[in-house]
Amino acid sequence: MKIKNIIITFVSAIAILFSTSVVSFAKVVGDKIILGAAISLTGKYSSNGVHTQNGYNMAVDRINDMGGIKVGGKTYKFDIIYYDDESNPKRAAQLAERLISQDGVEFMLGPYSSGLTKAIAPVTEKYGVPMVEANGASRSLFTKGYKYLFAVLAPANLYLDVAIETAVELNGGKGVRIAQAFEQDAFSQDVRLGILDAAERTGSKIIIDDKLPKELNDMAATLAKVKAVKPDVLVVSGHTKGALTAIRQIAEMKVDVPMLAMTHCDAAKLSKQHGKNSQYALCASQWHKTLTYKDDFFKDGMTYAADFEKLFGYDPPYQSAESSAALLVFKDAFERANSFDQKKVRDALADTNMQTFYGNIKFAEGGQNVDKPMVLFQVMCDDAGKCENKVVAPLKWASAELIHPIPKWSER
Amino acid sequence: MNKNIILYSAILIFGIAAPFIFPAFKVQLSILCILIILSITWNVQGGEMGYNTFGNILFYGLGMYLCASVQVGMFFPLAEWTEGGGEKTFVHTPAQFFQGFGVGLAFAAVVPAIIAGLIGYSILGLRGHYFAICTLGLGVAAGEISGGIEIIGAGQGFTTPPFPNVDRLEARGEFFYFCSFIVLVFTFLAVKAIYSTRFKLVLNAIRDNEDKAEAMGIQTMKYKIIGWMISAFFCGLAGGIMGGLVGYIDSTDVAFDGREMGVFMVLMAILGGKGTLWGPVIGATLFHIFKEGFWTFFLGWQYVALGVLIVVIVIYFPEGIMGWLREKYPERFGEVVDEADRKAQVTLK
Repeated sequence: MKIKNIIITFVSAIAILFSTSVVSFAKVVGDKIILGAAISLTGKYSSNGVHTQNGYNMAVDRINDMGGIKVGGKTYKFDIIYYDDESNPKRAAQLAERLISQDGVEFMLGPYSSGLTKAIAPVTEKYGVPMVEANGASRSLFTKGYKYLFAVLAPANLYLDVAIETAVELNGGKGVRIAQAFEQDAFSQDVRLGILDAAERTGSKIIIDDKLPKELNDMAATLAKVKAVKPDVLVVSGHTKGALTAIRQIAEMKVDVPMLAMTHCDAAKLSKQHGKNSQYALCASQWHKTLTYKDDFFKDGMTYAADFEKLFGYDPPYQSAESSAALLVFKDAFERANSFDQKKVRDALADTNMQTFYGNIKFAEGGQNVDKPMVLFQVMCDDAGKCENKVVAPLKWASAELIHPIPKWSER
Repeated sequence: MNKNIILYSAILIFGIAAPFIFPAFKVQLSILCILIILSITWNVQGGEMGYNTFGNILFYGLGMYLCASVQVGMFFPLAEWTEGGGEKTFVHTPAQFFQGFGVGLAFAAVVPAIIAGLIGYSILGLRGHYFAICTLGLGVAAGEISGGIEIIGAGQGFTTPPFPNVDRLEARGEFFYFCSFIVLVFTFLAVKAIYSTRFKLVLNAIRDNEDKAEAMGIQTMKYKIIGWMISAFFCGLAGGIMGGLVGYIDSTDVAFDGREMGVFMVLMAILGGKGTLWGPVIGATLFHIFKEGFWTFFLGWQYVALGVLIVVIVIYFPEGIMGWLREKYPERFGEVVDEADRKAQVTLK
């Protein structure tokens, strides 16, 4: 009897769930413009997924509080439907389909990571749903001829080639010996392609070229090789986990390299988590709070960072900043299109030419942002052990001089 | 018998009409078909033969990569297609797309079956936990290895050919739904036919006591391998379709996705009742509905909810839904019930 009751409860619960799920949203309900987003709330990208979501949410609240979006003489507010893609491309593609065909979403925000964006882009493209994405940097996203994909960030192959060029310059223009290790995923492999290009251009030699597994927790084998062959530059990329693992093990194994170039240092909160061990790490970033761009909503990078910290309790990584910028781009496009017609909004997006606190935004034919250079920062610590990320390149924004070569562990 | 015909035709009609009744749910319905195929084929080993395999994901992933590679490779240089994460763009004409997909599916079915035959001889010699662990390794190894093969995209992933531009927006969803539905029907009928022969009895004999079966003169290895080849054939087909449906193949997250699909196929068969024909079908359907529901309404807690569901299943339905029904209504399953005996059992408790 008991079991029967349980089953009845279960079945009715399912029935209720499904009857409510049929209530579909539409693109614009009342005074709300509803955007859809699949975000990695669980799985291997969950920490970056949350940075992305925080960035989106902060911008939605800010734009809504400051008067919303004016289209056709009426004021609208943003709202976002989120789903959890579990850091899985299969799930992400499915959710994009679901957002569009079941929830009736007509405008999308991007997920976190290139791999997931690669899975979602064909779906949004098929339905002609404009998507502004802030976290898919893979170069191959922009060569596919996608018409409805717009990325506010610079492509992944540009992330670290400045670092290689700097190293060559400091080496008196002669090529350097590079050791590199990249995670097996779309983004990191694209950063690798950028390094390969830069190496060829500068006549540098790649002496270690390792692949790291996903769910990256150990790279001791690579580091042992690095210790043995003593390269001039060590490049590591593997999202947040890659950055954390690299710093942890480099400190443990006391690996000495003149230059350590990485990605995702700020998302991994390296300077906070590893303190002095992370010192001198050189990191590629789409944005840094000290850059001098301005807009009406967030004023400038420093104000954005302060507001963000007040809301979420940590310093914003660039993933959050670019996500916030995506909403500014959408707002601007809606107002210029003065319509909710997907084609008109798409055309307005393509014509975007604006400055935000995050940087200038102007889309090339392929959808990538061509008006914003990457920056490099270096983790620098004072004697008290307080560490900060300081921009070292490009020179226009540099607030500190690059420390090169990195002092040996025995001298620190 | 008549009842059965009505039931089957009702399901068939529902299957054909489903994408038109629920046009917004086409992708979910296609995935449901794929899940049912995977769970039916897992049941051939796990349920009927008593070999708990985690390795069927290998055939699914192989099928996925093969189908996409053939579909591209027939018309364009595959190495250029995947180079640099797929930077170059080639466009399939509709005829090329469908031709390539068809041939790709044929490869996706046949090659995994052959591979199952080749590796089966050594692996199926293991039993119990050893077999389970060994097959678990197969999927993981395949994921890592394929993640290093440049010609299929390596860590960058493989973007499958986009569906050709036809006037109807719904065409893509319908195409993949009917592909998966037809393969499902085909799988079900094939497995049903096999289950009505001596072959199934041999598999059951292996499950119940392999040594005894061997002693009776049955060449158990031969049957085990054939059983695995049949599973591999349909798993490969399912993988090929899934690859086209998702549109992007990643080595460990989409193709050799042992952590999700590999575990789900076991869960679904157990939920429905392993060792039955309908159990995996019912299990997969319920599982999919629950999963989609949890994903929508318990955002961030979906795996907790799924975990609770699994605990409930294990405690209340240890034999799966079909097993529970069978215990509850043995007459319906053609078992002769001795009332006096049944009562005696109850009083014994």
